[in-house]
Amino acid sequence: MRMFALTAVAGLLAATGSQAAETLDLVGPVSEYKLFVSEQTDLLVEDTEAFVAAVNSGDVEKAKALFAPTRQHYEMIEPIAELFSDLDVAIDSRADDYEKAEADPDFPGFHRIEYGLWEHNSTEGLTPVADQLLANVQDLQGRIESLPFPPEVVVGGAAVLMEEVAATKISGEEDRYSHTDLWDFKGNFDGSQKIVELVKPLIADQDPAFVRQVDANFAVIDTTLAKYEEGEGYVTYDKLTEQDRVKLAAAVNALAEDLSTLRGKLGLD
Amino acid sequence: MTNDHLRTSRRGLFLGAAALATAPRLVFASTEAETRHAADAPIEDAARLSDRIQPYGPHQAGITTPRPANGMIASFHVLADNPADLERLFRRLTDRIIVLTKGGPVPELDPKLPPSDSGILGPVLTPDALTVTVGLGASLFEDRPWLQPAKPRALVRMAQFRNDALIADLCHGDLVIQLCANTQDTVIHALRDIVKSIPDQLVLKWAQAGNVPVISPPPGAPPESARNLLGFRDGSANPDSADASLMDTVVWVGPANDEPDWATGGSYMAVRIIRNNVERWDRTPLLEQERIFGRTKITGAPLDHPHGTEAMAPDFAADPHGKVTPLDSHIRMANPRTPASKANLILRRPFNYVNGVLKNGQLDQGLLFICWQADIEKGFITVQRRLDGEPLEEYIKPVGGGYFFALPGFAEGGDDFLGRTLIAALSPTSQDSSQSGLSTSQAQN
Repeated sequence: MRMFALTAVAGLLAATGSQAAETLDLVGPVSEYKLFVSEQTDLLVEDTEAFVAAVNSGDVEKAKALFAPTRQHYEMIEPIAELFSDLDVAIDSRADDYEKAEADPDFPGFHRIEYGLWEHNSTEGLTPVADQLLANVQDLQGRIESLPFPPEVVVGGAAVLMEEVAATKISGEEDRYSHTDLWDFKGNFDGSQKIVELVKPLIADQDPAFVRQVDANFAVIDTTLAKYEEGEGYVTYDKLTEQDRVKLAAAVNALAEDLSTLRGKLGLD
Repeated sequence: MTNDHLRTSRRGLFLGAAALATAPRLVFASTEAETRHAADAPIEDAARLSDRIQPYGPHQAGITTPRPANGMIASFHVLADNPADLERLFRRLTDRIIVLTKGGPVPELDPKLPPSDSGILGPVLTPDALTVTVGLGASLFEDRPWLQPAKPRALVRMAQFRNDALIADLCHGDLVIQLCANTQDTVIHALRDIVKSIPDQLVLKWAQAGNVPVISPPPGAPPESARNLLGFRDGSANPDSADASLMDTVVWVGPANDEPDWATGGSYMAVRIIRNNVERWDRTPLLEQERIFGRTKITGAPLDHPHGTEAMAPDFAADPHGKVTPLDSHIRMANPRTPASKANLILRRPFNYVNGVLKNGQLDQGLLFICWQADIEKGFITVQRRLDGEPLEEYIKPVGGGYFFALPGFAEGGDDFLGRTLIAALSPTSQDSSQSGLSTSQAQN
């Protein structure tokens, strides 16, 4: 398998590799990734059921406790989940996506519930939002099951997740009411690293310096995040020191640059 | 078509040679203007995309270099845990500076990869008089025990002055980059290139772009200073930046400055983002505006020579009670022109900025003040302290900026790079370090 992969990649880099070899080469990683996404989606549905049940029963504390770990599954599979933009908006949009922000009746999903739980310390009026969230998450599960995974989306997803962090997470604006951003970080990083691990055998021998650099930056992130672990998850985002925020930002920016070449390195458009 | 045929006029920018000067006596000695081809379209500008300013020399470019129409200050957090990291950063910056200021074709990559360049200048980079000037903030040294002993003596974190309303997100930084070029596009391109090239060691903290108005002087007219957004000429009393020996005293760190050896040839930089309350200013009577500055608005002439030129020196001694030039006017407080105040000369090289609209619905415009001096305490800090309480404060509000130390320059070739003397001073084998105990602190790290 290793020898086969190498030959294929060498061919790709010379831009003379056959399409068949190219596709075949990524079949393994892509189907393994599909399995990973499917597992995470199942967990997302399962956890959302519990989260929604807590909201609907008026248990504010329980709902708060379940908010971040539930979202983490979504953050992990974001490159696939956001292929369905209607659902992505319904599940994960933020107040600033709406003209009247939090007061906008159209503001839905996780962050609408987060707003109620943390800003008003209440589940009042959240039941329809929560029920809709669950329905959307179940819909997502069904759509992902029947989705063929295009290799360029899977491979490109590693960089997409870094762009997510760089653009909306590093500022602490994603989970602005609960400040559970570090959970989302972790989800995005793990989701990205999963893709890198799956395709790494295809480039490890060809481009060891690249792999070393990517691994080193993931290691910086792991070490930095580890300092903020608490219980099953993480402390709130405001506990992150400026120095560590900068360290994370640099590693994320470097990974976003490096991983933006991953598709091309594998011969994908 | 060669680069020589490209003109900034495609963007409607007309830059007279005189406008390039920061001071009346500073004439941009461009021979470019005379070497236009006969078939070229007639244009008024002197600036060209092919203008090239060498980045090499004992001092960095962009300090005494005649100011082009556009500039930007970008401030960064630095990731460097040891001297080797810092050297790597300096070498990477040097590489980009050489490439960007030289121009030339952009490397073509496999189209399946992201392009190496943003492409906003097209496939061939034009130097466009670009200068890239790098300064270091106090935090770079203070946050790193191995770097602390090498900190320039006078480098401090900018402290709040009386009229300041500093916004934390617009202040300070480990490292600052000043970008200047004829066109805004070249400045933006350079910033994007640097951000993309060094993502793991530079994290952008804040940036402010600016420009100065371009003029079209009649033939033979003396150079004039560019106007700020209050409509006054800014820089009239600057020391002559073409006078090398004067610059050695005013701008460049030398033996007289009691600085670490590595800092020789560098310069202190004060950056201030100063909001102008332009609506209110525009509703202020002309005579009051002129009393506040101490100059006439149209010509920039001092009030005691109202029909003269901005190049004329006011005679404050002849006006001890401030009957002609008020004692609290800006130019009189900033530079009282006494024998003692000569020690406080600074070289100003600011840009104007326009940022849109504030929450109150007023225009967010002002001055990206930049000045250079061999000693920041004797220079900007002393001058600004004198200005505390000036009537102009009613119309201006400093909101950001910082103090930085611009590294000495670097030579072409010979493995030289920006910051080499600092890195050498950190080496345990160098004489400097054994004297300053750097080898000890390094061993601990």
